[in-house]
Amino acid sequence: MEENPSPSRRKWRKVAYGGMQPGYDDNYTDESFLEGMVMNANLVKRDMLKVMHDSVSISQYLCIVALVVCVWTYTLGSTISETSLLLLDTGLLVSGFLVLLLTAKTLSFLLLLHYLLNISLFICGLYILAPIYQTLTRSISSDSIWALTVSLLILHLFLHDYSNPTLTGNISLNASIVASVLIASRLPSRLHVFAIVLFSLQVFLFAPLITNCIKKFSFRLHLWFSSGLMVMTLGLIFTFHKMIFSLLLGLLVFVNVVCPYWLIRIQEYKFEINGPWDEAKLCFDITE
Amino acid sequence: MVEERRRHRVLMVSDFFYPNFGGVENHIYYLAQCLLKLGHKVVVLTHAYGNRSGVRYMTGCLKVYYIPWRPFLMQNTLPTFFGTLPIIRTILIREKISIIHGHQAFSTLCHEALMHGRTMGYKVVFTDHSLYGFADIGSIHMNKILQFTLADVNQAICVSHTSKENTVLRSGLPPEKVFVIPNAVDTAMFKPAPERLSHQEIIIVVISRLVYRKGADLLVEVIPEICHLYPNVRFIVGGDGPKRVRLEEMREKHSLQDRVEMLGAVPHAQVRSVLILGHIFLNSSLTEAFCIAILEAASCGLLTVSTRVGGVPEVLPDDMVVLAEPVPSDMVKAIQKAIYILPKIDPEAMHLRMKKLYSWHDVAKRTEVVYDRAFRCSSEDLLQRLPRYLTCGVWAGKLFCLVMIINFLLWRLLRLWKPAEDIEEVPDFTPPHHEEEEISANCDKA
Repeated sequence: MEENPSPSRRKWRKVAYGGMQPGYDDNYTDESFLEGMVMNANLVKRDMLKVMHDSVSISQYLCIVALVVCVWTYTLGSTISETSLLLLDTGLLVSGFLVLLLTAKTLSFLLLLHYLLNISLFICGLYILAPIYQTLTRSISSDSIWALTVSLLILHLFLHDYSNPTLTGNISLNASIVASVLIASRLPSRLHVFAIVLFSLQVFLFAPLITNCIKKFSFRLHLWFSSGLMVMTLGLIFTFHKMIFSLLLGLLVFVNVVCPYWLIRIQEYKFEINGPWDEAKLCFDITE
Repeated sequence: MVEERRRHRVLMVSDFFYPNFGGVENHIYYLAQCLLKLGHKVVVLTHAYGNRSGVRYMTGCLKVYYIPWRPFLMQNTLPTFFGTLPIIRTILIREKISIIHGHQAFSTLCHEALMHGRTMGYKVVFTDHSLYGFADIGSIHMNKILQFTLADVNQAICVSHTSKENTVLRSGLPPEKVFVIPNAVDTAMFKPAPERLSHQEIIIVVISRLVYRKGADLLVEVIPEICHLYPNVRFIVGGDGPKRVRLEEMREKHSLQDRVEMLGAVPHAQVRSVLILGHIFLNSSLTEAFCIAILEAASCGLLTVSTRVGGVPEVLPDDMVVLAEPVPSDMVKAIQKAIYILPKIDPEAMHLRMKKLYSWHDVAKRTEVVYDRAFRCSSEDLLQRLPRYLTCGVWAGKLFCLVMIINFLLWRLLRLWKPAEDIEEVPDFTPPHHEEEEISANCDKA
């Protein structure tokens, strides 16, 4: 209205005020229509090798869980005695601390002392509770226990946080702990129960932390460690059961090769639209 | 052309209507009033609010059907697809409706009424009042439903050009079927303060629900900054919501109790009395299809500072509004600019300009054009309409077709069970003379 009128037809403007613009219908659409639209603004070009490297963390954790299950079955079959189990526990604890010491940039003596105090308290508690665990599921048949354990482990693997393992998901962690308690309740002696629960808890609680430390320290070491772990697990399972071996091998190939390829293939179907109609995002933190 | 102007018989459908208050409710009310004034027949259909159920009359003999369906979530009725068919069919036949006009994409009642309308061969028009993204699950679901409704709509209306772009993308409708008809403001209700306020103390007014989408978090960042920069600025914040606590915390933390006044929820009837206390109106929305609040503030002669989101840049001429990106630092700069140009703003002149820029009468006339277009669309039978639903998606398309076929069969069944001849038609009834003046007060003549 305030702009100078041209002799023939005023230019159409993208405004809502001033009523119907003379010479133009309300459904008039000019070339500026949808010019604010941006397609696939945050498309990430993914590299096959990079995605495969990233997926190593998942297969590594799968192997760790498979190893734990191996130890469980060997203990239940009395192949491993309680003393060797306790030795394994101590070995794991010491090696874990060593890794933590070697990879951490700043670790004070006081913090270490704090950790040690916590762990000894934890071990004492576990030792006192062991008799309760032992008789916890006496009235339930072993088949149901195994079925429940397997489903809990699958739940654990599904919900496990593979990318940021400092704080694993609560449901996932609880599922794994319940699974280890269930298995422990099938064992003959108190010491067995104590050793196996300690072992499972060490692995489920601290293994993600330790592997993450290694990964942060050196990615090459992480790859070597993971491949070593994979070979070891596959070898152990091969002597144990052929069918499970092929299953695990298939799963590892699926996670490490098929899934990354799949992810890169489906990138071309990505169709994301942004434009002025999107809700603005706040650029600062809202601290409630 | 004027002599053969067609009188339409319009049914406005939305879950949102008086006694609820908001942009959509206002829009339907004023549009209906002005269409009545233009000689059309308008009936409003909404769900029951509390014990307000049945038929009511509003100003100017605007008939409102409050159908006895209970809202279940945010004033929406439970989606039943076919449950509302009998009652809507009866109302359509009783009132001899020719056009069904649905409002707001959130409203389930609106979607159902449009679907039944199409099944029964009525012309349907849809108005979209909001913007939607494309990324989250909620939007994807809503967009699918909108696609279903709009697949077979005769004409669609959006409240701003940005909203039109959004609707076209969401529904795949051809752009020439979508009209842009903005909201308006009742300038007679929003007059500036009788005498000009002094500029000794500058008062910034905020009236909005204090929720995330309205940018309450931006206010928390901006208000202390401005108070720090200008010792003579005061804030009046009207509105309530989950973020009110954060604002109050901010007030405590920066000891601004005497400079930031929190009014709580302001009823719509009192919005003007709050607006005229201030010099500057601050809108911090993160998304907005049109923003009637800005119009109300401008009509009261306030200079507006707003975030540049959605359709907001289209709402006012550049010299009546200061726009800023939704970033605290940019908003502070915009408020500084607004305070700088404030002495040049004459509220009375601004009010007179708003009177020229926006009127509901103009909106009604433009809507009438859309009705005429919809009326001229040829009638189609079910077989001609089904392919349009089929193109909506691989699975969704087939599902939509199934829903339409079932609806069609139900309608045929209803026709056998209760033939149209058995439904009594309502005699038309023109408003008595003395009420006409009341309408002209509400529906301000351009």
